[in-house]
Amino acid sequence: MALLLTVNGEDRTSGHGAMTPLVDVLRDEFHLKGAKPVCREGFCGACTVLLDDHPVMACLLPAGLAVGARIRTVESLAPDGALSPLQQVMEEHDVVQCGMCFPGMLMSLSGFLAVTPRPTRDEVKAALSGNVCRCTGYERIIDAVLSL
Amino acid sequence: MAEVTLNFPRRDARDKLRGRTRYTIDRDVSGVLHAALLRAPVPSARILRIDTAAARAMPGVRAVVTAEHAPGRHGIGIADHPLFAAGRVRYHGEPMAAVAADTLAQAQAAAAAIVVELEPLPAVITMAEALGPSASLVHPDWRDYEVLVEGGAHGGNVAWEATVLRGDPEAAFARADVTVVESLFRVGRQNHLSFEPRAAIAAFEDGRCHIETSTQAPWTVRNVTAHLLDVLPSAVRVTVPAVGGGFGLKFDCALEPYAALLARHAEAPVRLVNSRQEEMLTCLSRENAEIRIRSAVTKDGEIAGREAVVLMDCGAYGGEQIFLTTMTAHTLGGNYKLGSVRLASRAVYTNTAPNGAFRACNGTYNTFALERHTDEICEAIGMDPLEFRRRNVLGDGNLGATGQIFEGDVLGPMLDRMAGLRAARPSKQAQAGDRLYGRATTVGTWFVFVGPSAATVNLNADGSATLVTSGVEIGSGSMMQGLPQIVAHTLGLKPQDVVVRAADTDAGGYDVGVGGGRTTVSLGAASMAAASEVRRKLLDVASGMLQTPPEGLTLANGRVEIAGRPGTGASIAEVAVQAQKLVGPIAGSGSFTGPGVAAMPGCAAGHFIDALDIPVFAVHECEVAVDPDTGHVEVLSYAVVQDVGRALNPRAIYGQIQGGVTQGLGYALHEEISIGADGSIRQSGFETYRVPLAQDVVPVEISLFEGAPSIGPLGTKGAGEVPILNVAAAIACAVANATGRRVQELPLTPPRVLELLLGRGLPLDFPHIATAWDDNLLRPLAAASWQGRRMAGPDAPGP
Amino acid sequence: MRMKTGADTFHVATTLHGAVAALADRGHAGAPLAGATWIMRAPLRGGPQQDRSYVALSRIDELRRVEIGERDITIGACVTHAALASALAHIDGCAALVQAAASSANPAVRQVATIGGNLCAWDFASADLVPALICLAANVELTSPDGVERISMERFLARRSELAPGTLLSRIVVARTACGSAHVRLPLRRSGDYPVAIVSLAVKLGQNSTVLTARAAVGSVEVVARRWETLEAGLVGRPLDPQAAAALAGRCLDDFVARDGVEAAGWYRLAVLPSLVRRAAQALLPHS
Repeated sequence: MALLLTVNGEDRTSGHGAMTPLVDVLRDEFHLKGAKPVCREGFCGACTVLLDDHPVMACLLPAGLAVGARIRTVESLAPDGALSPLQQVMEEHDVVQCGMCFPGMLMSLSGFLAVTPRPTRDEVKAALSGNVCRCTGYERIIDAVLSL
Repeated sequence: MAEVTLNFPRRDARDKLRGRTRYTIDRDVSGVLHAALLRAPVPSARILRIDTAAARAMPGVRAVVTAEHAPGRHGIGIADHPLFAAGRVRYHGEPMAAVAADTLAQAQAAAAAIVVELEPLPAVITMAEALGPSASLVHPDWRDYEVLVEGGAHGGNVAWEATVLRGDPEAAFARADVTVVESLFRVGRQNHLSFEPRAAIAAFEDGRCHIETSTQAPWTVRNVTAHLLDVLPSAVRVTVPAVGGGFGLKFDCALEPYAALLARHAEAPVRLVNSRQEEMLTCLSRENAEIRIRSAVTKDGEIAGREAVVLMDCGAYGGEQIFLTTMTAHTLGGNYKLGSVRLASRAVYTNTAPNGAFRACNGTYNTFALERHTDEICEAIGMDPLEFRRRNVLGDGNLGATGQIFEGDVLGPMLDRMAGLRAARPSKQAQAGDRLYGRATTVGTWFVFVGPSAATVNLNADGSATLVTSGVEIGSGSMMQGLPQIVAHTLGLKPQDVVVRAADTDAGGYDVGVGGGRTTVSLGAASMAAASEVRRKLLDVASGMLQTPPEGLTLANGRVEIAGRPGTGASIAEVAVQAQKLVGPIAGSGSFTGPGVAAMPGCAAGHFIDALDIPVFAVHECEVAVDPDTGHVEVLSYAVVQDVGRALNPRAIYGQIQGGVTQGLGYALHEEISIGADGSIRQSGFETYRVPLAQDVVPVEISLFEGAPSIGPLGTKGAGEVPILNVAAAIACAVANATGRRVQELPLTPPRVLELLLGRGLPLDFPHIATAWDDNLLRPLAAASWQGRRMAGPDAPGP
Repeated sequence: MRMKTGADTFHVATTLHGAVAALADRGHAGAPLAGATWIMRAPLRGGPQQDRSYVALSRIDELRRVEIGERDITIGACVTHAALASALAHIDGCAALVQAAASSANPAVRQVATIGGNLCAWDFASADLVPALICLAANVELTSPDGVERISMERFLARRSELAPGTLLSRIVVARTACGSAHVRLPLRRSGDYPVAIVSLAVKLGQNSTVLTARAAVGSVEVVARRWETLEAGLVGRPLDPQAAAALAGRCLDDFVARDGVEAAGWYRLAVLPSLVRRAAQALLPHS
């Protein structure tokens, strides 16, 4: 039985089983490789996507549970190549290093900023507490967020 | 010339922010097979039988290989490392066989179906066990191994021993006017936890093997893979897409030979990617180490003599640790003026996963040990730690441990700079509240790992330039920012007009690899030399076009101008087009290697580097609050003064410092690896291997110290590696100051700190480090007349 | 390894009774699936493969509601940690539950992990909601083809690993009382990891902060969270004094046999309990 998924506003059909982690469907079947399977157990945040506007870990979400929900991945943030304001400040502040954590960081932050448009530094840090970055040491990412 | 210092943004940021960058794990290859490794479930065993017949018959299976298909050994210094466990298992997780199949599930199922009969053998899990009386040998046949580099003593479970002797420490310790201070330290391993695991895709094309891989050292991968496949190095081509974090993990050959061997047998492309659990179990971690250090110090704080024994756990195979024994001379033996010194640095085999290189290898824990020891000295002689450091740090004309003569006063003025920062900002002591407050300032000595690099620059008819090297962008930005800035500066172009080709061993010349802070220096120097040749040729052609001698021309903003007459010249594109007609396209090539600074003859034995070509210094300061109830350490403030030579892109360096300090905070406070009785690493993933999260970090106050001598291009030094160097030292000294306890071990996790506060733990004791320094040596020093010889052989070592 | 599962192995229930029937039908091969966070990572932790026939509960509206009545609060088993924290944020007496729900795991996991899943993860010693609900004297409602049964948390914890097929944790009921409550957890980092020890405490205070009733629970120290009755007995009848409470806790540590784990040894989990009790008591004093 095919799974009907709504990804970045588009209806997609997956041939995977319902218990397949959403991150594998996105990457292997839909070629949306922004979400990264890094720890596969919900601790690193690199596969974070938005599910009905809430950040969730795509490694822990069976694709079957995503049926009927709106899934947004990092690829949706700049659909025509124009960076979102969040992406723009990241580029302007030169905070990207290896870059593997950013797709997840950006989705966590997108979900968070939608409900907390004027956050404090502590709030941003708390919102990122499920997103590991091994390169940057976070603070300059947070500076960029606070400059929005 | 164009301005070279600028905050040039990185060109790879946009795609990385859009999720479009294709790392090795993201690459789609048509018809690719998936591979799995069968790993040993025990730390030490004799392999009685491996039967792959059932596995071969399973659905989708295309190839199964074992030691019989790749019998060679590789290594650094000593060729001790087979691709597959051959006859004997030496660590829990060691590959015994590899399978390629149509799907990953099929490959894993087939790997599980391989029949292996093992006869358990005694294992040495700790260095104390490995060096203990009647220890079983990890390599009973060590005498038969090919020695790739002469000079280090080795034998039994000691893979390599490097020693330093300068002056007469015996006499110094015997002086009546000295206080002798002895300290013991122990540190655990550190996992890089690079987000992209080790991953490789191998395919055979036209009789040659093409490997796409997540590596920092494409030429090492090329040479080691060729060696293990028993083909000519030129039969292997390595290309490297964007790398999702390295930090030293990927400075060695890793999965590539397995993928290549399987691709050869299956006659199809093969993809092999470590799971996170495999990454944890077999990470080439920063090694655990044990250190005994003694100093003879006068009441005025003069260090008359120093001696130390450093044990570095290399795990089951020597690898990088053999090379890294070298670094003790320059890290533990660094920072301070020493009247006399003797150091023994030993890489020890154990039946555990091999260790490897990690950002400021060896330096992090030796700096921790040295700086804590320094504070213990200050306590013993009653001197202020800052005053002691100010008096004793290396300055212009001072001798290092191996007798090299240091140039320039750097650490002293850097301490002054830090004092200025301290005076300018209020203490955060009030934030400690009811907790214990401590502060510390530490110094550190590191270096740039120079060595060979090559570069080619092509000037294109559109006025852009293409830079071709074997450099890899691992995230630090050197390939995206530093190198194009150097080439653009030399040619009068904008950095965005310099295209940097991704690493390809078929295109770029030999390179040691990206690591050791060497990218901007070594690849930068080669790139600048290549660009200079282009510049010469460009000016020659322009000279004809503009009827002006080359000396009368300037290059800036993409144009050649007659000096003093702006607007009269031509665009570089026009000159490039003209050149194509007259003399053919303009290209230049350049190369670089370390000049080889001299040590004092006879001081260093068994070292790969006797003296530092480019020393790099750092001063770190922090304030901490320690919770007396739970042992939690909160970092209240952190400041860094870093010797960068010259900052080409200050903002990028700030990013490296904030990130490097954060990794150092992980090492100092959170990241712990423990090894179970079964020889396996107990931390299997992100849950129990805890790296700092956003809430565990503070903004680092940064001051870049420019102007110290450097042979790097434009006076640069590597800036990305050193920020992690003295974080553990600074934190440990601050925690010791806060608690009044003797901090001897890392990481300072809450349980370990509470143990210290409650006085629960036993003081360290190293029965396997002899009290008399000489008794530790395999080779008495009188016999050590070996002189440093440069590395050769398939594995280029490095940090 | 990932399993491919077809229609027969993944059923999306839309009513509680439908779910119960589907689970009963599947027998021991069936398993309920709520937020799935625990089940999805189980294979990586040496646990079972995802080879059961799952009945997804997340579309059952009645299990996603928090009903705040005058006498009690009824929480559907599929309420997520994030929804729970938000629904009870300003309800008196629920502070322990709110703190537990708002601080467990990390924000993205809290979006999907459910209260029912947290209570049913019998091999998860560090579950935050368990001690919080014990201190609040919560009851759980089990629904099976035979009907509805309401049992105490303690009884549920003892039975949860061997519930009969078709028996589903459907609701959690917390009585509204005049108690104040606090949940103090100790992760090794600031947040983002599982706590190595948890103290949940609910007290009813009289004049001069005299403790009239007390209910304490300890999580993560032993394999399963449980009440700390000797601490409760020692607190009742005296004014609530954080230092005295900590001292009392220090004298009662023998009540526990702490577990050793990769992240912390047993001695550490015990050693920090007195200060966690002190913090909990501090949080419950009227002026704080």
